[in-house]
Amino acid sequence: MRKILRFAGREYRAAVKTKGFIIGLLIAPLLMSGSVIAIILLKDRVDTTDRRIAIIDQTERMAPELLRRAELHNTYSVIDTATGEKVRPRYLFHVVETDTARSSDQYLRLSDSVRSGALYGFLVIDSNIVHPGADLDRAYVTYYARNTALDDLRNWISSQVNMHLRELRLRDAGVDRSAVEDLFVWMRVEGRGLLTRDAKTGDIDAGREATPVEAIIVPIGIMMIMLLMIMMSAPGMLHSVMEEKTQRIAEVLLGSIRPFEFMAGKIVGGIAVSLTTSAVYILGGIIAVTYLGYEEYIPFHVLPWFLVYMLLAVIMFGAMSAALGSTCSEAKDAQSLSFPTMLPAIFPMFVYLPVVKEPMSDFSTWISLIPPFTPLLMTLRMSTPESIPLWQPVVGLFGVLLCTLLFVWAGGRIFRVAILMQGTPPKFANILRWALRG
Amino acid sequence: MTSTPDAAVSLTGVTKTFGKHVAVDDLVLSVPRGSVYGFIGPNGSGKTTTLRMIMNILYPDSGTIRVFGAPLSPAACDRIGYMPEERGLYRRMKVRELLVFLAGLKNGTDIRRSVDDWLARLDLSDWADKKVETLSKGMSQKVQFIATVVFQPDLVILDEPFAGLDPVNTEVMKDAILELRRRGTTVLFSTHDMSMAERMCDFVCMIFRGSKVLDGTLNDIRDTYALDTVRLRIAGDGAFLGSLHGVDHVNDYGRMQELRIDAAADPQEILRAVMLQTTVEQFEVVKPSLHDIFVRIAGPAAKKAVQEGAHA
Repeated sequence: MRKILRFAGREYRAAVKTKGFIIGLLIAPLLMSGSVIAIILLKDRVDTTDRRIAIIDQTERMAPELLRRAELHNTYSVIDTATGEKVRPRYLFHVVETDTARSSDQYLRLSDSVRSGALYGFLVIDSNIVHPGADLDRAYVTYYARNTALDDLRNWISSQVNMHLRELRLRDAGVDRSAVEDLFVWMRVEGRGLLTRDAKTGDIDAGREATPVEAIIVPIGIMMIMLLMIMMSAPGMLHSVMEEKTQRIAEVLLGSIRPFEFMAGKIVGGIAVSLTTSAVYILGGIIAVTYLGYEEYIPFHVLPWFLVYMLLAVIMFGAMSAALGSTCSEAKDAQSLSFPTMLPAIFPMFVYLPVVKEPMSDFSTWISLIPPFTPLLMTLRMSTPESIPLWQPVVGLFGVLLCTLLFVWAGGRIFRVAILMQGTPPKFANILRWALRG
Repeated sequence: MTSTPDAAVSLTGVTKTFGKHVAVDDLVLSVPRGSVYGFIGPNGSGKTTTLRMIMNILYPDSGTIRVFGAPLSPAACDRIGYMPEERGLYRRMKVRELLVFLAGLKNGTDIRRSVDDWLARLDLSDWADKKVETLSKGMSQKVQFIATVVFQPDLVILDEPFAGLDPVNTEVMKDAILELRRRGTTVLFSTHDMSMAERMCDFVCMIFRGSKVLDGTLNDIRDTYALDTVRLRIAGDGAFLGSLHGVDHVNDYGRMQELRIDAAADPQEILRAVMLQTTVEQFEVVKPSLHDIFVRIAGPAAKKAVQEGAHA
């Protein structure tokens, strides 16, 4: 054990004393949270160029109202009254007569106007939309522009068209709008968590208001931190073992320590690196979140599970990385093995959205019980406001423990054979044979 | 040499195969304590495999290995300093830091003082706080050697310690090895440098194709060969020497020639025949050198004989 710790100490110092580690420690969370920061910083940075839109109104009842509503928008929503700064584009609608005989030609001409920049887009309102009856497919409102899928203007038009349609339909039915003003009031459905009784006072609380921060951002953030811990240790082991092998350091070390001690030292060093990183991130995160007044969102009950799962994940992926690193005789071998080695660790990133959205679904439950995915996905589920039954993280932990033992056992066998083997490429069949036969 | 209870290392019936290739075949070996033991043999004969088995890096398929009378164990390996043939160092570590680390892995005591002693002895004190990557190749080799001996092992195993060294560093390495012997350390080293083995080793063992073919003191080994070698220095070209009656083989070194003569040939007759053709400056009848013995066993003629035997 003393040799393992000595070797682990060197590995740890070699990892954390580099500039790369310190820079990575600072930059990794910035990169990972960069998109969120970018969204916050850039959310008001919109293109304020005026939008010129042509309307072909076959109903002859819609266009005047749309022009009126656009005018209201231009008057009240375009200029920030506090700063006097233009913060949104003006919507400049104008009506174009319908060319019923050659509508396609007309639409093509308008499209060319959009291409030339004279127009931003054009809107075609079908004559049947006010009272489509059962034939809904024949009633349409079509907005043509360069990129309508992500165009905010489409949403604005959709909202205004439907509001006015409601008014027209009431009017046609002879209903006085003022008698049914409430019809136009949109009610928000408030989401709250389940009610609990305070054990000391006996009071029943109102249930916590559900927020995207608690339901999505916190769980994903915690999962990303764990992924970061794994990625900062395991792939490094693959490369450092490969370097020790190719630079002929491995045999010098094997004269002093057994292959298992060699691999164990690597893993313990990796664990120490992960603990250092997580200490910085978790403590830093808690301090930052508390400072910002969001400490109620920190799922402290998940932290012990987080640490246990993270340690096992580092051991599991570290053992495989060290073993596969020992099969590499040159840098390109390590490059080609890096991705497949880390794929089980990265895989949860492909499925986290359905899991975080419905953490109690059968899919979420079963996929989080597959051992290589358990550390990330179970922690993700446990960090959501849902109450995961205790048996699930316990069974998951048992599975991860067994899988870790299997990985360490197989990794040790691969490592012992491969570390002295020069010039043999890391073929899957060879790796499997070494794992099974030693 | 058979196994003795007070041997530093003893191997009995050790066999190691890799797939169908027999790397070491039923090897019996005994390295006396306090000796300098040379391990020779051509490339691929099983030397490194044997040394790795002694270090417990590879496991024999059969046979037993004992170190200082006890079966191989991690504790026994901690008494052995090992310098492999393919050796490297952590390039970004400082020299002293690296040596302390490696000695620590051997559970060495009083490491720092010993590190400083050896650095001074091998003229590397000024480099103690420099990174390994700044050292020349010769310096790195010396640091490798220090890493092998700094924790004061009872047995030192060196795989090709002189490979790649210039003459000055070869002398430094040779002196350091002999000093280890004076302190009572057993030294086992493999080498291709026959003259070095001849001059340094108390015992020499040669393996060829995984099997032991020579074992004993240099005199013991040479005594198994007759006085069948004539060492000559002549004026002019020695191209005619191969055609002389009774000469089996000529080793022409340019300014000196070695003739291997057959058992029935009379060296005096050969001298007379040479003197008829040129002036003889030196004439000596000797037993074959270790180099010559090595070539006789492992040279092209021997390999051809082995292949013909296999085909027959």
